[in-house]
Amino acid sequence: MSDIVPGFYLDNYRGANNMKRDWNLVFIAGLFEIGWVVGLKHAYNIGTWVLTAIAIYMSMHLLIVATKRLPVGTTYAVFTGIGTAGTVIFEIAVFGEPFKLMKVFLILLLLYGVIGLKTITIETTDEGENA
Amino acid sequence: MAWIYLIIAGVGEVVGVLGINQVNQKKNTSSFLVLFGGFLLSFVFLSIAMETIPMSTAYAVWTGIGTVGSALVGMFVFGESKNWRRILFISMILLSAVGLKLIS
Repeated sequence: MSDIVPGFYLDNYRGANNMKRDWNLVFIAGLFEIGWVVGLKHAYNIGTWVLTAIAIYMSMHLLIVATKRLPVGTTYAVFTGIGTAGTVIFEIAVFGEPFKLMKVFLILLLLYGVIGLKTITIETTDEGENA
Repeated sequence: MAWIYLIIAGVGEVVGVLGINQVNQKKNTSSFLVLFGGFLLSFVFLSIAMETIPMSTAYAVWTGIGTVGSALVGMFVFGESKNWRRILFISMILLSAVGLKLIS
């Protein structure tokens, strides 16, 4: 999934396509983060602990792949943000945590920040390719 | 003392993020040690801190240190952009993540 296909990276294929893919990876990493945060709290047998461990591994792995080209400060902020907002939404929906207007406001602020970062981020090129 | 543990946990997270970049540059044992060592340190000290500090407060401070720390490491160690809009958007996410953890 994460392996680099050499031909894909040539010339004008670079840019928009890679960028979209890298952001998608950050979002999926965020989803896995929700998985293990919920898992650490609610895992109750071997099966759920194994799933939690897989989620930790996957979120880390995707984060590493995404930061090959995206700046690490930006990526980590977005990753943390998705994980936090997602966990809050998940706990409201599944575990009956109280719904507060302030939570909605903060999630909207977070979305604004994420979309803002997406629009201004310029990717660096891979090491070695333009050396 | 719990607050010192919490700060160590936050710093551990930033070390882990440093490790992420390290792994991208060189896939060797020491890079993975920085990555796993950082996050492990972070989790261990976070759970020790949580014995005294309420969970929501501890989580919020931990997230805050991690996000700010990674942004600063990005800017001053890896030469990432110091554009004011980037700082503004990261601050928005920071404020929101810390807020959500405090009220949850």
